[in-house]
This record gives sequence, C-alpha cells and structure tokens, in this order.
Amino acid sequence: MRGPRLVVNLVLLAVAVLFVAPLLWLLTASFDTHGSLAAKVPGDFTLANFGQILNWEVGGRPLVNGLLISGGTAIIAVIVAVLAAYPLSRFQLRFRRPFLYTILFTTGLPVTAIMVPVYGLFVRLSLVDSLLGTTVFLAATALPMAIWMCKNFMDGIPVSLEEAAWVDGASSLQALRSIVLPLMAPGVAVVGIFTFITAWGNFFVPFVLLLDPDKMPASVGIFSFFGQNGLVAYGQLAAYSILYTTPVLALYLVVSRWLGGGFSMAGAVKA
Amino acid sequence: MRARTIAAGLAVAALTLPLAACGGGDSAGDARTIKIVYRNYSDFPQMDTFMKDVKKQFESANPGITAQLTPVSSLDSDYLAKVQLMQRSPSTAPDVLFEDSFNVNADAAAGYLLPIDDYLTKWSDWNSQFIPATKQAGKATDGKTYAVPMGTDTRGLWFNKDIFQKAGLPTDWQPKTWNDVLDAARKIKATQPGVQPMYLPLGKPAAEAMSMQTLEMLLYGTPTKDLYDEKAGKWVAPSKGFEDALGYVQTVMKENLAQTPAQAEDTQWAQTQMPLLMSQGKIGFMMDGGWYARYWNAGGVAPWPDWTKTLGTAKFPTQNGQAPGNVTLSGGWTLAVGASSGNPDASMKFIQTALNKENSAAIDVACSWLPVRDDVKADPRLAEKDPTVPFWSSLVSFTRYRPTLQEYPQVSNAMDVAGDSVVNGGDPAKAAAQFAQDVSKAVGADKVKTG
Amino acid sequence: MRRSPRVGVWLPPLAPSIFLLGLFVAGPILWCFYASFTNSALSGIAARRPKFVGLDNFTTAFTSPDVAASLWLTVVFVVLSAVVGQNSLGMLLAVFLQHRGKLLRGIVGTVVVAAWVLPEVVAAFAIYAFLNAQGTLNEVLGWFGLSQNWLYTAPMMAVVLANIWRGTAFSMLVYQAALSEVPSDLVEAAQVDGAGPVRRFWHVVLPVIRRTVVTNLMLITLQTLGVFGLIYVLTAGGPDNKTRTLPLLMYEQAFKFGQIGYGTAIALVLLVLGAVFSLVYIRSLKAEV
Repeated sequence: MRGPRLVVNLVLLAVAVLFVAPLLWLLTASFDTHGSLAAKVPGDFTLANFGQILNWEVGGRPLVNGLLISGGTAIIAVIVAVLAAYPLSRFQLRFRRPFLYTILFTTGLPVTAIMVPVYGLFVRLSLVDSLLGTTVFLAATALPMAIWMCKNFMDGIPVSLEEAAWVDGASSLQALRSIVLPLMAPGVAVVGIFTFITAWGNFFVPFVLLLDPDKMPASVGIFSFFGQNGLVAYGQLAAYSILYTTPVLALYLVVSRWLGGGFSMAGAVKA
Repeated sequence: MRARTIAAGLAVAALTLPLAACGGGDSAGDARTIKIVYRNYSDFPQMDTFMKDVKKQFESANPGITAQLTPVSSLDSDYLAKVQLMQRSPSTAPDVLFEDSFNVNADAAAGYLLPIDDYLTKWSDWNSQFIPATKQAGKATDGKTYAVPMGTDTRGLWFNKDIFQKAGLPTDWQPKTWNDVLDAARKIKATQPGVQPMYLPLGKPAAEAMSMQTLEMLLYGTPTKDLYDEKAGKWVAPSKGFEDALGYVQTVMKENLAQTPAQAEDTQWAQTQMPLLMSQGKIGFMMDGGWYARYWNAGGVAPWPDWTKTLGTAKFPTQNGQAPGNVTLSGGWTLAVGASSGNPDASMKFIQTALNKENSAAIDVACSWLPVRDDVKADPRLAEKDPTVPFWSSLVSFTRYRPTLQEYPQVSNAMDVAGDSVVNGGDPAKAAAQFAQDVSKAVGADKVKTG
Repeated sequence: MRRSPRVGVWLPPLAPSIFLLGLFVAGPILWCFYASFTNSALSGIAARRPKFVGLDNFTTAFTSPDVAASLWLTVVFVVLSAVVGQNSLGMLLAVFLQHRGKLLRGIVGTVVVAAWVLPEVVAAFAIYAFLNAQGTLNEVLGWFGLSQNWLYTAPMMAVVLANIWRGTAFSMLVYQAALSEVPSDLVEAAQVDGAGPVRRFWHVVLPVIRRTVVTNLMLITLQTLGVFGLIYVLTAGGPDNKTRTLPLLMYEQAFKFGQIGYGTAIALVLLVLGAVFSLVYIRSLKAEV
C-alpha cells in the first residue's frame, strides 16, 4: 500500500502547487515597488502599495459598502429561501418540481442580460441609487440557488422529528424554527456563504443600480486600478486585491472551522 | 383553486410592473439641483478636479442652485452603457453630461439631448471664439446643435529621433506615401533588431481605436476617401480603399514591423506596456493621438523627462501622396444638456461656466486636448506643458471626423472584425468582402454603395 | 411528506420568494422576451420608439455565423471546463483526500477553495498575470525553453483552465460531503470480496452518489454558462473571437452596440441552452428511478 499512497500524496501536492501558483503574483507584486506581471521575490520591498490604499476613501468605504450589500444579500436570501424551502420540502405540492426546475434554469442567464428592464423597474420603484434596493435585487437573483440548496438540506432532516412537535400543537413555523433550523445550521451557513461570495464579486449590478460613488462597493472600486489609457498600477492592484479578498477568505475560514473542518455540501445537491 | 388564483394574481402583479416601467414620462422634478454626470478616469484624475472647480464657480455665481456631481469610475464602454441607461429614464437622466462627440447623433435621435441652438446664438463666446470646424462635434444630422466641444484631438506619427538616426533616417522625417512609412519601419528593423519598428492600434482589445485610428486613417488617404458618402447618404462598402487599408495592415504584420499578433490580442498590453516601451526607446515610431504627452510628462504614468528632445512628430501621409497629402482624424469630448432637464437654463449656464476661456484652457492643458476656442489657442501654458501642441493643432485645418451616425458603432465593429482577422493572418480581400456583407446587414442593403 | 390541505399553510412561507422572484427575476426575463421581438436599443431613434420586428432578431441570430460560432464555443467551454474539468478534478480531489491526514486535507482544501472565494475580477487578473507572456508560468517554462503566450496560442485552453481553477472547489466540497455519507460497510464488504480501489469506486461508491453527481453537473453547468467577467478580463473574447462565448456576444451586442433587442434574443438562446443541458441531466436521473 505504500506505493499508491505516495503517488496519491504527490498528485495532491502537485494539484496544490498548481492551484496556488497564480496567487503568488498577488503576494509578491503587492510588496514590490516595481511590481510586474511575473511572481518574483520583490526586488524593492515596500509597504507603500498598502499604505496608498489603506485609507477611508480607497480601501475603507468601498469595503464597508461591500460588506453591507453582500451581508444584507446573504441574510435576506437565507431567510427567504429557508421559508420557501419548508413547504417545498414538507408538503406534497403539485407544482413543486416545475417550480424548482424553472427557477433553477434562470441561473444560467447572466445577470447582464436583464439589467435593462431591471433598471427601468428600479426607476419606477424609486430604488435607483439605493443600497437597500441593490441588496434586495441581489438577494432575489441569489434565491434560485439558495432555495434549491435549502430545500435539499431540509429533505435530509427526517419529518418524524417534527411530527412530535405537531402532536404537541406546534405550528409549522414553530416546528421549523425550533426543530428543523438548528439541525440544518451547517446547510444554512453554506447557503449564506455561497450567496455572500457571489454578491461580493458582482461588479455590474451595483455599478448600474447605484449612482453615488460613495455608495459603490469594493467590486466596483477595484476597477479604478485598471487604467484605460495608462499603466495599471500593478502593486496597488495586487494590494487592493488582497484587501478585497480578505473578508471572504476570513468568512470561509471562520465558518468552516465552526462547522468542523469540511463544508457539508452534499445535502445541498441531492436531486 | 383559491391557491392558484392568489399565486397567479401575485405573479401577474409582479410581472406587469417592469413592463410598465419603461418609457415612464415623469420629469426630473427638482429645478434647484442640476445633476452633472462625467467619467472619472482612474488614471486621469484631472476631469474630477476640473468639475469640482467648475461646481464652486457655478454655485457662487448662481446662489440657490446646487450642482450635484456624479462621477462614474469605469472604463469607457461601461460609462457609455451606464449613462445611456440613466438617460432612458427621465428621473435619473443627467442635466449636464460629459459625452463623446461620436455619440451625439445617436443620443439626439433617441431624444436624450436638448437642442441648444437658442442658447448658443445668445452666447457671444460661441459666436466669436469657438473655431467653426470644431462646432461640428456637437451638431447632429438634423442640423441642430446638441453639445459644446471641450477640446479636440488629432492623430499622426510620433517618432524616436535616436532610433531614426541609427537607422540612417532623417530626424525631421515627413513621409510622403504609405510606402515611405513602411520603408522607415523596414530600415529600423534591419538596423536595430531589439526595437519594434512601429506601433499602431490593432487587435480586438483596441476595438474602436483600431477602426478609427488605424483603418479610417488609412482609408481616408486612399482614392476611396470615405467611409460614408454624405451627399448620397450611403455607406461605402465594399471599397477598394478599405481593402488597401487592410493590405497595409497585412504588410505590417507579415514583415513583423509592428507589435506581434499576440501583443495585439492581449487585453492589457496596449495600456500597460506601450507608453512605457516608447519611453524606453523600444519602439521606432507610433501612429496614434497627439495626447500622449500626458503620459510622459511629470506625474504621468510613464514619466520621461527627455521626451521633448527625443521625440519628433510627423503628419500621416495619403496612400500615394495624392492631395490633400495628409490625413488626420479628430474626436473629442463635449458637454451636453439632457432633454428632460428640470432646469435647462441653469444647465446651460453650467456649461458656459465650464467652457469659458479660463476653464477651457485649464481642462485643455490638463488633458493635453487641443483647444476649440481661438482665445485659448494662444494660451502659453499649452505649449509650455507640451511643445508639440502647435503641431497637433495645425492638423485641425484638414481634419476629418468619424461619420457620427447612429449605425456607426456597428460599422466600426465590422471594421474591427475585418482588421482583427487580417492581424491574425486572414486574407484582406476576404475580410473586406465580409466587411461589406456585415455593413449591409447592419445599415440595410439600400444604404450602401460600392467605392 | 404531508399532503397540503390548505393554501394558508403553504403559501405564506413561499410568498416572499414568489414576490421577489416574480418582481426581480421573472418580470425582467419576460421583458427580455418581449424586447427580443423589437428593435429596442440603448440609443438612436429605436431607443425612443422601439418597433415590433417579429422574429427578425431570431432570424438574424440563427443565420448569423457569429451566433453559431459563439454557441459552439459556449458548449465547448461548458463541457471542457465544467462537465469534464471541474467535475472530474473535484471528484478526484475528494476521493484522494478522503483518508488523508488532517494537514494534507487542510492544505489542499484551503488552496483549492481560495481560488473559488476570490472575487471574479481578482481571480481573472491573477490568472491573466500567470498566463501572460511575461507571467509566472512563462518564467518557469522559460527554463525548459517552452515559454509562449498562452492567451494567444491557446486562448480556449486558457479560459477553460482558468474556469477549472476557479470552480473546482465547488465540486470538491460537494463530493467530499457525499463520500462521507457512503456507508462504510458497503465499501468494506466489497474489499472483502477482493475488489480493488478502482472497482470499489466504480461499482460501489459511484452508484450510491449518482444523484449527487448529476445534480452537481447541473449546477456547475448553469454556473459556467453565464461566466462573463473571467473571459472578459482574460481575452475579451479574442483573439479573432476564439473565446467569444454567448455571454460575451450578448454583452457586446446589447451594451457596446446598444442593440438591446438583438442582445436579449441572444440571451434567450443561452437560456434555452441551459434548459437543454438541464433536461438531459434530469432525464438521466429519471431513467434510473
């Protein structure tokens, strides 16, 4: 058994190296005065790149806006999806399958495709330039995946547990809150993180739906490091990328530790 | 049954709302506030500084009215998409907007812009100072003027005198024909292997820069002369001239006289490497705009203290030296008033403040734009900052503009597709034929003619 | 599962979803459906008075070599990067990691997941810098004389690899969890019968997690169909349109040229493509049951 075991370990290490290689550049360039496109030990080590972005205007406010939008999106999506998942999982509804598949199909459509009518809608509802409106819209676009995952997590929790509560006279909602939710907490965390990450990286939606530059999240702010006709400030771009990535990475690490190592995704994708 | 009715009702209510949302007619209410939308170039903060300055002047001269600045930080293409979306809805449409001259026609046709002829006739500066040729930038095909130019630009050749000297070429170079240009590149290639002989905007990432600055510059110098025949009201496709322009690109690529196809297709190369390579003496000459000084000046992205000594400028010749001898193209940015502005008077006043003599000079100097006002032309700060300004200004006398019709973006794209295929080894004749097909599909078969 | 007796029981919890999805997703999609039959535009005369043009946009789309080429590229991109790449690599990693030490699991898992949680632009630019002519990969390959501009010589391979790099974590996490639920006595019984590791995987493990595999395929297919930013930053659809998938073509038509009507028609082609893929997967599930 030694031989195969060694091979497997080598394969895993090789994959790890391949996966980490593109990220090295971010680290080296961010500490280099003359950052270029290749990853190399900084010839001229500096913290200036970080110094230039660590202020409220560049690094602070966009990050806070991003946290508000993405955090809000995740919270709204999780609450709404859990509620929707309950009847879909627990009751024999005739439209269940068509409903689930229809909403799932819509996720194949890039959100850019619907931005024109959405903008018109936002104007009509006076939601343009509203952080809350943008957040709710992002939550709505995240719902198909969130409902789908929540429903499958819930399917994994035996109904027998709730039946006892029903006998005691609890309502469906009470049963959901006191029995089902605690059991599917890991699943809820997965859905929340997934939604947060997707919203965190979204450029086009906040770019179109918000007007005030002071409301723009980091996903829009990062474009200020791509020059149109000039040089990209590689060092600052790399430093900003690291700053911009830290919250999602931290969120993932905290939640996965809390869940005890691995993410439990299986429940999310059983048909 | 009740369930279905409720669900259906909810769905219908939700669905009809967005359908009704477009084409709403409520106007942009508040007359005390005017909203100014402009692009905030990340690598180019001058516009933002300028607008903040104008806002201060405007507000102190017009007490009680607020100029609300809405800078949009993005790439050009995203700026256009966003502004056009804002314009679709009167309640978010800007009162004053920073607009590329080549969108004026389409936006006027869409009803997004206010005709400002009445205001202009009463503006003495407009009548006495604005250079007549540049007024075209804001004029639409319906004969009305919708925008006031802020500055303009011209295109030609920048060359490195040191490299030319080593290649045995004159340091007061002025090519007379396309072949003169190609020969200079060949000489550089033969004598200096480490140097890329020439640069010209090419490839899909260059997008409109390839169609305007490369293909149209070439096409307008052929006997075909036109992309759009204004008298006939028809697009000229197919044309011998366009095929020749593609042939020029083919020669350049085949003989490796310019950037490699891989560099041309690189999404970041032209922005990230090109101004730098030029300043490092790694490019012999480039065919591009006169605004490059802003990258080489102190504070630019590729500072180069010696650029004024090392670089020369030359006009781009016609194909065989036929009249008028040289070709250049102009574009430029304008300020326009939104059609649904709640306070057009104040909006127009804002534009008049922004483009008075002093402010015009300030923005032209800051952006290395060529002045559109006679009294600014004489401003010593322009030549002081960039001694090549008088040269680029002199080209305005024979400059051409893009056909700013609403179909232009699609025609320009068809040119890009043709050019891109030649860059990647395609056959010019085939590419030209495909171009003609694409144009006729985009504008209608009754709106094209052979040239 | 209970039969639902009253609408008052099942509707209230579903109402917020129906409301949000109807307002912000279904509504706009229906508008797109309507717009695809008009010459609606962002600017120009058609922006003021869009006209009903019947099936013109679809006729153009179905006869256009651009759309055909983009459709094909989209299928290639999805099959190679999602169905083959992310799915197989994710499965391989999950299987290989199953009985490893905590350290190795931690290292490999974190590195793979890091690529997944990166914001799209950052991931795209990191991969751009990696594959660029002056990038890290070429610095390394240069030692062996193998350097070349990957984004130019093999653009489709570059975007496929980029998407595998970015998306494998999702499949890996899914399969890690699925494998942990495979009853160990089944696997042990097969081992006693003398089945090797490959046979055990193929005949014991795979049948148990089959539904998860199919559903995972459906989800990553739909996610990959809509990939835009990654390709846009890497190649912008080039060179010579060799990586212009349907989302890029749609963006180009709708926002660069302002042809909303035509752009939405292309978007609907994409929607149908996603439905076709999904139906194939759903059918394969039904056949089993």
